[in-house]
Amino acid sequence: MSVAGFIAIAFMLTMYVLLDGFDLGVAAVAPLVARSDRERAATMAAIGPFWNGNEVWLIAGAAALFALFPAAYASSFSGFYLPFIVVLWLLMFRGIALELREHFPSEIWHQFWDAAFSASSALLIFVFGIALGNLLRGVPLDASGYFRGTFAFLLNPYALLVGLFALATLGVHGAAFAAMRIEGEPAARAIRVVAGGSWLVLILYLAVTALTVSMSAPLRASWLFVMPVLSLTALAAMWRSARLGRARDAFLKSSGFIVTLLAASAGTIFPYLLPAYPARNAGISIFAAAPSETALACALSVTLIGVAGIAVYTPLVWRRMAGKIRVE
Amino acid sequence: MDPVLADRLQFAFTVMFHYLFPIGTMGLAPFVAAYTWKAAHRRDEESARIAAFWTKIFAINFAAGVVSGIPMEFQFGTNWAAFSRTTGSVVGQPLAMEGIFAFFLESVFLGALLYRRRGVPSVFVAWAGVMVCAGAWLSGFFIVATNAWMQHPVGYRIAADGTILLESIWLVLFSPFAYWQFAHVLCGALLAGGFIVAGVGAYYLLSRRDESIGRRLVRAGTIVAFAFALIAVFPTGDRQGRDVTRYQPVKLAAEEGLFTTEREAPLAIIGMPDVARMRLIDPIYVPDFLSFLSYGNYKANVNGLDAYARDLWPPVEVTYYAYHIMVGLGTVFAATATIAVVLLAFGRLWSARWLLWILMLIIPFPFIANEAGWVASEVGRQPWIVYGVMKTAAGGSPTVSSGETIFTLIGFAGMYFLLGVLFLYLVLREIGKGPSGSEAG
Repeated sequence: MSVAGFIAIAFMLTMYVLLDGFDLGVAAVAPLVARSDRERAATMAAIGPFWNGNEVWLIAGAAALFALFPAAYASSFSGFYLPFIVVLWLLMFRGIALELREHFPSEIWHQFWDAAFSASSALLIFVFGIALGNLLRGVPLDASGYFRGTFAFLLNPYALLVGLFALATLGVHGAAFAAMRIEGEPAARAIRVVAGGSWLVLILYLAVTALTVSMSAPLRASWLFVMPVLSLTALAAMWRSARLGRARDAFLKSSGFIVTLLAASAGTIFPYLLPAYPARNAGISIFAAAPSETALACALSVTLIGVAGIAVYTPLVWRRMAGKIRVE
Repeated sequence: MDPVLADRLQFAFTVMFHYLFPIGTMGLAPFVAAYTWKAAHRRDEESARIAAFWTKIFAINFAAGVVSGIPMEFQFGTNWAAFSRTTGSVVGQPLAMEGIFAFFLESVFLGALLYRRRGVPSVFVAWAGVMVCAGAWLSGFFIVATNAWMQHPVGYRIAADGTILLESIWLVLFSPFAYWQFAHVLCGALLAGGFIVAGVGAYYLLSRRDESIGRRLVRAGTIVAFAFALIAVFPTGDRQGRDVTRYQPVKLAAEEGLFTTEREAPLAIIGMPDVARMRLIDPIYVPDFLSFLSYGNYKANVNGLDAYARDLWPPVEVTYYAYHIMVGLGTVFAATATIAVVLLAFGRLWSARWLLWILMLIIPFPFIANEAGWVASEVGRQPWIVYGVMKTAAGGSPTVSSGETIFTLIGFAGMYFLLGVLFLYLVLREIGKGPSGSEAG
């Protein structure tokens, strides 16, 4: 049952990365995609209906982690104290920047808020990437299972590289979404960003993968060797779709690429939720962090029923929303 | 500073700021649902405009609620790691349910109302409004259930290592303490919602614009405010008071300012607690009434603070004042709404401009009353984080210092200031444009 809990958490966080990933990504690549004030407004409008709902996945994922593995939740959230608070501030600030933009009458203000929005979103992706990097690398847990993440420790070269990789990957993901939702010139630029950005993603992917594999010498699960093949296939397919100008396909393949990355990450740390550093075959495992069987069963049923419900009604609602955004 | 005190200050600040928005969403959700339903079925222009207007105001509230609410979910882990680790098996459940069941419902269907394509079937629109309301209320229910468990823990057992483990989720969700508390909290929000709608309507009537819509808003708002001002007192307030008497008698003593144990205990209407001398300064009493309220018997014995060890007392002054503000404002609301409803029944309300002024200016006060009620309930729970089971002092994060918490508290203050200004600007602008400026969807 603990394993199912691990999968549930991994699933919810993957959904968060896929969904909030595209609106963060759109914001991060907006300076490359949209040139004029109206084009930037259209870019914002493309994610306007979605960003708030997408962030709900983060809240739900954190809550599910709390319910399923309280020890891991407590230790990681208090250990990454300042980085997490910075994430909170960025999340809030970016929502404020997005909502404020249209309410200022001058283009100078628009430019300011657009820049603030893009910068805070890009920084947010970068910080999330650093967090993932540290999760893969492990954290210095003490005997009682707590740790104190200092900046010097958290900002190590490996984690920074993962941060950059996250930025490139979600930037491309966002560009594919923008190409799908917007019409006209910005869409054409966005699809070119996808095609060109794929190369950057490829280089960073190879570097990160090589480092990750060398770090975690004895790979715990042999199926993980399949993941690079799948990732590279998805990446190549995305590049091809972008070259052919098929935004929708590119977006789906980008989603596939992200899923393989996160599945590989989850497989790397399994069965730990928070591996220890430097001895990475220790840490807070799903068996140690789990609450009672009753609680696990309860949280799992909640997650399953809830996610099934969401899978039914979200597409139902999204189908009834307005279509492509036109630059006015 | 004691790190846990810093954690408490930060949590109090962030949760009190955050709670301003759920009051609005829980209180306005039924209006959104009802107006949307009506607009979908009647298909007249005016109903559609009213529905679009309240949906927009609701959406601004909801967005601010999400943005200010994300820190709440994180803080359990960042600042209350020991509490989360010990109780997560129980406390995590309703929180996860809130995120997964309620929050998604609310956000997805609100998106449907705001960004729907033209020509979407009206049945769908009508039901989307109902779903938004269901999401908002469910969300509130799960959060209150979490809090109710901390007030009156049930359905758990304690493992050998001191961890609290869930025994039965049904006992946690459907404990009478939880649903009476939720009913009372919901009444508070609906009372606020009623006064918001009535107050905005009164503003239009006073400024002699959108008068037909203004009348509709005042009528609906005052009736809702009247109904829930009464239900907030009886039965929900009464039942909650009895639960507190039974399970948290020392909180009751602090709320009522009862220092000494008495038969025929009087109810203090006003007075200043003097904790050092164990008495109320300049009190006005209703004789025997506290005994009656607590036990339904004028002669019943009510335990005062002197019946309990001093280290089990909550901070008396804050609990006492907050509780009296809630009760006092509640009385004012009941009186105002009653007068408004009587004048409405006799057709005199539209000419009673003084009352319209009061209705407009009363809008902030239900928010104060709601917050004060929570302060009385939460500060009154001290020194326990889980009543009778775990002390607040043992709940903090061992790796986070008080200085860090103070630093982040200041950061939150800055961010919330920005959010508050934005919220007020957006809402006041929508009210200024008015329903007639709202595009009928």
